[in-house]
Amino acid sequence: MGKRITVDPITRIEGHLKIEVELENGKVKDAWSSGTMARGFEALLTGKDPRDASWVTSRFCGVCFSVHTMASAAALDEAFGAQVPEGGRILRNLIMASEYLYDHIIHFYHLTALDYLDIMAIANYKGKDPELLAVKDKIVGLVKRGDTYPLTPRYEPDDFSVADPDIVIMAVKHYLDALKVQVTAKNMGAILGGRAPHFQSIVVGGVTQVPSAEQLGRFKSMLAEVTAFIKDVYMKDVLLFGTGPLFPLAKLGIGGGHLNYLCYGSFPEDASGKNLFFKPGVIKNGNIPKPEKFDQQKVTESVKHAWYRDKDPVHPYDGEQVFDLDKSDAYSFVKAPRYDGMPMEVGPLARMFVMQEPNLMGLVKKGVKPGAVARHAARMLETVLLADQMQVWLAQLIDLMGKPGFRVHDTDNYEPPSSGQGSGYYEAPRGALGHWIKIKDKKIENYQAVVPSTWNASPRDEKGQRGQYEESLIGTPVPDPENPINIVRVIRSFDPCLACAVHIIHPGTNEILKFRIE
Amino acid sequence: MLRSFRNINRRDFLKFCAGTATILGLSEAAVPRIARAVGDAAKKPPVIWLEGQDCAGCTISFINTSNPGTAEIVLDTISLRYHETLMAASGYVAEKALHDTIAEGGYVLIVEGSIPKADERFVQIADVPFVKTLNKAAANAAVVIAIGACATYGGIPRGTPSNGQGVGWAMENGLVPKKPLINLSTCPVHPEHLVGTIVYYLLFAKAPPMDSVARPLMFFDKLIHDNCERRGRFDNGEFLEDWNSFEERNSCLFLKGCKGPWTYADCPTRRWNDGLNWCIGCGAGCQGCSQPEFYTGMSPLYAKTKDIAGMRIETIGALLAGATAVGLAGHFIGQAATGRLGKGGPPEEGGES
Repeated sequence: MGKRITVDPITRIEGHLKIEVELENGKVKDAWSSGTMARGFEALLTGKDPRDASWVTSRFCGVCFSVHTMASAAALDEAFGAQVPEGGRILRNLIMASEYLYDHIIHFYHLTALDYLDIMAIANYKGKDPELLAVKDKIVGLVKRGDTYPLTPRYEPDDFSVADPDIVIMAVKHYLDALKVQVTAKNMGAILGGRAPHFQSIVVGGVTQVPSAEQLGRFKSMLAEVTAFIKDVYMKDVLLFGTGPLFPLAKLGIGGGHLNYLCYGSFPEDASGKNLFFKPGVIKNGNIPKPEKFDQQKVTESVKHAWYRDKDPVHPYDGEQVFDLDKSDAYSFVKAPRYDGMPMEVGPLARMFVMQEPNLMGLVKKGVKPGAVARHAARMLETVLLADQMQVWLAQLIDLMGKPGFRVHDTDNYEPPSSGQGSGYYEAPRGALGHWIKIKDKKIENYQAVVPSTWNASPRDEKGQRGQYEESLIGTPVPDPENPINIVRVIRSFDPCLACAVHIIHPGTNEILKFRIE
Repeated sequence: MLRSFRNINRRDFLKFCAGTATILGLSEAAVPRIARAVGDAAKKPPVIWLEGQDCAGCTISFINTSNPGTAEIVLDTISLRYHETLMAASGYVAEKALHDTIAEGGYVLIVEGSIPKADERFVQIADVPFVKTLNKAAANAAVVIAIGACATYGGIPRGTPSNGQGVGWAMENGLVPKKPLINLSTCPVHPEHLVGTIVYYLLFAKAPPMDSVARPLMFFDKLIHDNCERRGRFDNGEFLEDWNSFEERNSCLFLKGCKGPWTYADCPTRRWNDGLNWCIGCGAGCQGCSQPEFYTGMSPLYAKTKDIAGMRIETIGALLAGATAVGLAGHFIGQAATGRLGKGGPPEEGGES
């Protein structure tokens, strides 16, 4: 048996995640992914006013808050029989898209870039650019004062780390610039959503605010500012890194995994909800040029290796949440969703493959294999697509507001129905998200969510198939077990988000078994 | 002195001081004092930031601070030794930084997320239940700042099967050593509340004056309803009933379930996201997220009828004779007349489950 190492906590992600791997000949031979925190939001919602759900479920995740509100509101819309007016639909799209802009920028610069940079190389910068010299002074000053937290301690840089002082100093400057830009992107959402994080204005039937011309003007100018950063800085940095210093990592396809991809689709372009900006689709076994049609009936959840009572895989609507904490072969709170019995990757790479995004296809032709680096590229490319599309939506909104009868909310269907059910499918920045609600006596009878990180972070299923995090680690080089930097590179490339990945805790059982591998 | 302190120029440094003075509601005269308190420090004060049952929303809200900005706080003002979402280190390397700092002592401890009462193992990091790590970290902390609804009073997790509770509860029940505790209780924390509290502590080396539930009076001493920009509409009996109506867009949200009459926080004046908007500003109403009763005690969030029953008599007393009563007639007056007004406290406490 190879050497086992554990990385716990995996930091710079949302939530609490533990990764354990077995090494053999300097490479990962096997891997286990385990979520280590649970709250039990779904049980809390039982018996509550259904309209609370879109507000409460935002707190599933404080990083990708609006998509939970959005999927929840979509489920409520269906259950209430509410028809979201055009104005409400476009405003929801704009609020949701502004979250993507902030979220993807933060992920690249603040959550993941430190894995690829030897930040201390800045000291060797010999250039004369005054702005970069200010960055050098700042970092060198921290070193001289003997306090470089939170930039250190860290895993030590390796052969894949970028140590060219000119590149590193520019990247660190962009890290600092991006701290400001992400505020602007979040604030854009607040103009229409009330505040961020945790938007307020999205409710069943639409949104709560008819924006003023002044607000839209401000939104437009902030969008221009953020778009300029995305295209002039973020896009260029990802392309520079992906085709330059990180090309060896990209060519190896480190972090590829199962090569199965799933996208539910999102951002409705008309009232039917069928015409979506991100197209739904499924890719199996690396057959990237041939996406198949997505059929939600083929979604099942396996609990074989999760702490739930054994049951054959079923569709989430028929799911149950009865814990069995004595299962010896269970090791995670995260269930194992499968599509047509297969583990899937969800997120930007899945979306852009399903869309056959030409720039990503071009990178693949150049030799970038699906994996950690391709994931960063896909995330950047969809940020660019969305920033451009937001201009289109904004123009549509302004045009619509000039016409009589502009509406943002279906006020006629705002009172909870005596009974009903609904589902809301959406694409979170991290991937496919579904919320399901059942209403009885005007209260929530049952609430369910299958979230992106449940797909990606899932444990093995009843057939023993690994989840996508686990599979993507297989073969990853870890030459020094004390410094498993490639493991966190692979895992962070998914942009993990664990708080919501963990399912309900049964009220009757509250014991949690420690995840242990002998 | 300033030369030895961090590596930003004097102009930026004074801008930083002016920004924090604004947050604290201090005049320009305080700027030199802030400059001395922050600038003279021989070393940056160490900070440990722990996350329990959290959604990272408070972290994401904190990095929305723009005057001063996140980089000025994180790199120049404090020594952020441990923060799962922001730190470079992972795994063992991260845990070592935590334990080295605990051994050193004298740090500011920031806590985000709740502590599960049902079973400590609902959240474990590095195979250790969160409450055990919190216990260790609090023991050597100079001050504990609980941020967000979850870490202060349990928030949403208090109503879940895991029964999440706040830091104050853990101190009261002997799970965590008693230390000076400051509660910054909105969901998520307001970035200016946190930055202001940190700077206040650097300035005065003690907790600011606080209310009975340990919230700084400088941020939480006023009722939202009393300072709401729509209060005049309430007094005039103008209530929003249709979100599509441009005419009603600034009307009172009381009928949409606004919890402003029960909620203490400076949101009406401070607003959110650099003053761009706030919950009532976008037409959604206040959900009472700064109150100990939140969330279950504030549910249903959007319903109009139940809320008035528990409304404080001193708040609503004056209105019954005025235009508000006319506006509310047909909605609530029946309840008021039957004596269901003025019971005190928020709607109903259903927290402990």
